[in-house]
Amino acid sequence: MPYHKFKCSECIPEREKHAVIKGPGEDLTSCLPLGYLNTIPGTISERGCAYCGAKHVIGAPMKDVIHMSHGPVGCTYDTWQTKRYISDNDNFQLKYTYATDVKEKHIIFGAEKMLKQNIMEAFEAFPDIKRMSIYQTCATALIGDDIGAVAQEVMDEKPEVDIFVCNSPGFAGPSQSGGHHKINLAWLDQKVGTFEPEITSKYVINYVGDYNIQGDTEVMVDYFQRMGIQVLSCFTGNGSYDSLRGMHRAHLNVLECARSSEYICNELRVRYGIPRLDIEGFGFKPLGESLMKVAMFFGLEKEAQKLIDEETARWRPEFNWYAKRLQGIKVCLWPGGSKLWHWANVIHEEMGVEVVSVYTKFGHQGDMEKGVARCQEGALAIDDPNELEGIEAMKMMKPDVIFTGVRPGEVAKKMRVQYLNAHAYHNGPYKGFEGWVRFARDIYNAVYSPIHQLSGLDISKDEIPTDAGFMTRQMISDVKINKDEITPSEERPYTGDYDCVSKLRGKTYPGLSGPLSGAESEPFSDAV
Amino acid sequence: MEKIMAETMEDTLKDRVEQLVDYIMKWCLWQFHSRAWDREKQNEGVLTKTRQLLCEEPVELETPADRCYWVDAVILARDFKATYPWFATLDKTDIKVLMQGLKDRLDYLTITGSLNQELTDPKY
Repeated sequence: MPYHKFKCSECIPEREKHAVIKGPGEDLTSCLPLGYLNTIPGTISERGCAYCGAKHVIGAPMKDVIHMSHGPVGCTYDTWQTKRYISDNDNFQLKYTYATDVKEKHIIFGAEKMLKQNIMEAFEAFPDIKRMSIYQTCATALIGDDIGAVAQEVMDEKPEVDIFVCNSPGFAGPSQSGGHHKINLAWLDQKVGTFEPEITSKYVINYVGDYNIQGDTEVMVDYFQRMGIQVLSCFTGNGSYDSLRGMHRAHLNVLECARSSEYICNELRVRYGIPRLDIEGFGFKPLGESLMKVAMFFGLEKEAQKLIDEETARWRPEFNWYAKRLQGIKVCLWPGGSKLWHWANVIHEEMGVEVVSVYTKFGHQGDMEKGVARCQEGALAIDDPNELEGIEAMKMMKPDVIFTGVRPGEVAKKMRVQYLNAHAYHNGPYKGFEGWVRFARDIYNAVYSPIHQLSGLDISKDEIPTDAGFMTRQMISDVKINKDEITPSEERPYTGDYDCVSKLRGKTYPGLSGPLSGAESEPFSDAV
Repeated sequence: MEKIMAETMEDTLKDRVEQLVDYIMKWCLWQFHSRAWDREKQNEGVLTKTRQLLCEEPVELETPADRCYWVDAVILARDFKATYPWFATLDKTDIKVLMQGLKDRLDYLTITGSLNQELTDPKY
């Protein structure tokens, strides 16, 4: 087994089995790190907790809901507004955060009474909102507060409201992934099947495992609707509470992030017979083939081909402008879970960048299987790295840019390595055909930023050239470009709008004009 | 001489199986469901239908699950033919042998030889 031992972690021998180097001839039966295990004492993990995974990642993107944390105010504050999961209702779920503000006295005397008071106050403060999620935290779980009973009491008193209880305290798993698991199954057990949605198409899907980061979900939903497919619910980006209660009426679960939400798809398959189709929203080839697969399921190939042709014609040339300039760039692909495998191969194939390392903080071995299988030979794969290992890996692999989150990203910057925010994005959305150009543009802007070169000069000792002006990005990047080559006029830097999402809101789709009676009972019967 | 020819054919088959495995690993996700029983169903479902499509045999589309396997199979069969010119030289018997070799290898990599300790977890 090609395990890699970090020098900085020699004092934590258990860490050795959490990193591998993909050598020549290695495959998944010989090259796979351990994963999704309790953090080893002594290693300063960068993981989140199970409460954060449940609330911050999956629950809170639901847009028409009061998201209440039952616990100390710090839990809710630290999971508020750090991820850009926008929504089309003026970002209600991002604007406010709610906590019961549990203190020491409540630990001694109980906090259920105070919880009920908070629920009532929140509904009174926002009379238009009739849905609530309540998230358990470590403190209130340890004292045994029965949130479910309190929620039921409120629903009995106020029949117009509906409350979801998520019992995923911080300690309920090795990482945030434990929370993903718990909230998936809790939603299925408590809420799916309790609401009958309106069916407006013969072709109905749930779009699962996308959190509308800077509009990702809305871009994908636009594609589905242009093909005549009704997106019954989005789990959970820009998703509404009641639409997600109606998930049982879809014909197909289209799954984007298996890491965070395969559980609900698997159970919907077992309990309701709805099949699961895994897709990818990133990259021309994976996205095009994914849209085609969803379309083929319903017999809508022509609609899909038209869309793919239009989008490719519009965006491929602009993408090519960046791809030409990104060839050979070395990348550490250090995101959370699914982008590890969504991106590992396609950025190499379509942008020509070299993935020299992959890591995941909370991914399981299944994610690493996909990541290791998709990255190139020589790549270093790390599970749950600590900060020192990250630094050592950067010194060893010498990347030009890191795709990661804010915390490790800031560390990378201090080492003069550029970083792109893989979780919340810099200038997303990155999904969709246009989004893929925006991603390429952000990589280009990071790698060739003039500040990157200037920051390496020390004015106290380095000689500063005074006879030359600053270099622009293009002056730096175009050293690689063959000037004699004829470039098509469409091949140019990105010309899309600053905001490419808002205009999708309120669009009408001819194929989805009105309810179709009985559509759910005879799905796509003439589609084959 | 016959032995050498047989060995060469075996090497060619092995090499082609590895090319197809590499393609699936790089571009597909259906082989990586989270539990062993799902992976068995997925590999069987998608690769059986891929073989049928490549051999121009009828494909069963009775259930929603069948359609799900089928859409992955259609894309895979298309991509195989477009990516590997040697596919055009194969007859139906060759394709069946190749696809069986592919299925065996994929089952080994993703199920029987997998190091993923979660594959046998009895629950999702």
